[in-house]
Amino acid sequence: MILAHPQKCVSCHLCEGACSFKHEGAFQPAKTRIWVHDFVDEAMYVPVTCFHCRDAPCLSNCPAYAITRDPVTGMVTVNDDKCIGCKMCLVACPFSVMGFHTEKDVAHNCDLCGGDPQCVKICVYDALEYAEVEPIQWMERLDRAEHPVGAG
Amino acid sequence: MPYGWTGQLLRVNLTEGSVKTEPLNMEWARQYIGGRGLGTRYLFEEIDPRCDALSPENKVVFATGPLTGTFAPTGGRYMVLCKSPLTDGIACSNSGGYWGPELKFAGYDLVILEGRSPKPVYLWIDDAHSELRDASHVWGKNIEETEDTLRAETDPQARISGIGPAGENLSRVACVINDKSRAAGRSGVGAAMGSKNLKAIAVRGTGPVPVADPLMFSELVFDAMRDINEHPTTSKALRGLGTASTVSFSNSIGILPTNNFQAGQFEYADAISGPTIARTVLKRNKGCYSCPIGCARVTEIKGAANWSGRGEGPEYETIFAVGSDCGVGDLSTVLHANYLCNQYALDTISAGGTIAAAMELAQRGHIPPEDLAELDFELAFGSDEAVIKCLELMTYRKGKLGDLMAEGGYRLAEHYGHPELFMGSKKQDFAAYDPRGAKGMGLGYATSNRGACHLRGYSMTVEWFAPRELRLDPFTTEGKAQAQKDLQDRCATEDSAGICLFTNAVVTAARLYPMYNAATGENVSLEEWLGMGERVWNLERIFNNRAGLSRKDDTLPPRMTQEPLSGAAVDNQVVELAPMLEEYYRLRGWDEDGNPKAETLARLGIE
Repeated sequence: MILAHPQKCVSCHLCEGACSFKHEGAFQPAKTRIWVHDFVDEAMYVPVTCFHCRDAPCLSNCPAYAITRDPVTGMVTVNDDKCIGCKMCLVACPFSVMGFHTEKDVAHNCDLCGGDPQCVKICVYDALEYAEVEPIQWMERLDRAEHPVGAG
Repeated sequence: MPYGWTGQLLRVNLTEGSVKTEPLNMEWARQYIGGRGLGTRYLFEEIDPRCDALSPENKVVFATGPLTGTFAPTGGRYMVLCKSPLTDGIACSNSGGYWGPELKFAGYDLVILEGRSPKPVYLWIDDAHSELRDASHVWGKNIEETEDTLRAETDPQARISGIGPAGENLSRVACVINDKSRAAGRSGVGAAMGSKNLKAIAVRGTGPVPVADPLMFSELVFDAMRDINEHPTTSKALRGLGTASTVSFSNSIGILPTNNFQAGQFEYADAISGPTIARTVLKRNKGCYSCPIGCARVTEIKGAANWSGRGEGPEYETIFAVGSDCGVGDLSTVLHANYLCNQYALDTISAGGTIAAAMELAQRGHIPPEDLAELDFELAFGSDEAVIKCLELMTYRKGKLGDLMAEGGYRLAEHYGHPELFMGSKKQDFAAYDPRGAKGMGLGYATSNRGACHLRGYSMTVEWFAPRELRLDPFTTEGKAQAQKDLQDRCATEDSAGICLFTNAVVTAARLYPMYNAATGENVSLEEWLGMGERVWNLERIFNNRAGLSRKDDTLPPRMTQEPLSGAAVDNQVVELAPMLEEYYRLRGWDEDGNPKAETLARLGIE
């Protein structure tokens, strides 16, 4: 999965460009699967993408059984041919990182570019990292909650 | 749909209140690349260069390049072009941030603004739907309030570019600001926009920007990104310290303009230097769209007695303009002035230069006591209060001096009978390099088509920053004409393509033109590519000549050519402009009066 380090992000949005270029063949941030949320006044820029949650609400809420998990890698995938475009997964995702392709009428999430994530590759600031294990451990989450980026 | 370019422009007639889409002239796009070049081509066709810059006859063009919106390194630039209210020649001011790419995603390369609206309006571009909306509720508001208000009533993800009170009040040193703090700064483009009663352009785009050869483009970009990330200028100096990294260097060699260029070293340079900023007020660095450098400074004034605030900046040029050039060595004052300029949408360089000129006029007793008596502060070098209050005066044209300062430094100095105390060329203020310690910069200031400018031919790179064995002696005139010509042509290609000059230590012309080819599907050679830059430069020149500018305007103030500068590395130097200019005209293929010769135009394919 893609691990983000918001404290290193400078809000260049290169990851969005690289993501849409890879998946859509053109530069189109509206169809990206990774988003940089800019909190300009707080000087805080947060890249977010699919966490491939262990207990994924998108998967358990999909009425068409279109979202599956790879038993080996743990990656959560939307299967285009089964997706009915109902957007239940967009509603269910607690991080709002399920995207929707308006022309294909299907949901889409980070597919890790088959193991060579372009967003990580383009990020010269090392704000994105590719990790095969669940990277954000419970203690670190607590730490982040107590010391949010941009505070102090 | 073409590649790179969107192939469409938006034409807005403010007098009629009409907005319509039209196809881009692709023949011009191929000849002039995009952005600066293509915008100039449209202006050249559509306006009389002799028109009053603040009249409805002038047009304002917002232009992106074929690389804008792609992930080319720093592919996020757009330019604002018009006839300049400050110089009366061509204006082209370049800005980063996110506005330019958003316009491309909405499906447009250019927005052309014509006429004058009977009442304040703003333009809302929502992909294919565009409309003019009433802006009376934001007229008079600063940049921050304007952006927040317009974003709330359009789209939370809309990008906004607009003017502040300075542009509304037609200050000739007003700029256009997007994304709250990125400035299309120079040549008074904000006043031209203000004269049209257009407050802002809000844009939201969700469409694609495709490129012709994705594999090749990707390979070229990833290679360039890697090298930019390894090059010390881009990854260490600019990322770590921003452009402010230059303060200490300029001061150490003696070309940091101080007290309106009366000196080249500043006693308090350390207090306003890059490392000091990084240590004290810097919150973090930031990048514009697609930027692998991240030179922007996000700062906040903390614990200062007089001033407060937060925002982006200061850049090196700002530190010089409102700092050393005004004798101000207090960092919080520089920051506060920087934030004010962003809120009023004033060009920090010209605003600072104008204040410095006013200070010297006062210092030498050229301003009558009755005019000075209107002020509730002392107009003198080193006064923090004077800088801050002058910014307000020139934004709102308050009092006689405020009204004069809003006209820019040249017109101010001329009013008081001493135009020689204005430090600039073509009525536009110098940037932060005293040309007596970098002669090529002197030639560059004098010949820049948009008035004095450090970016058009940034010969500091070859005069001071290059490795010693590759350097041109900064104190001689030798080779400077050729260096300026080459840099000017190259800069024209970079601006026109839609990328930032700060990449140019890595993204050389030899690396840029393949990106252009891969993005657009064109097949130009390196020679043709540089020829396109030269074509842009010459077209700008012809525009200026038709506007009434000529050799007489390719000048420097007598301080640069007659009063020697000494200190640090600079020993008793003046700029020997005449021989450089002569050689420059010859290399450019221009006649003695600075008009491109017929054979030059034929060679460049300009009709």
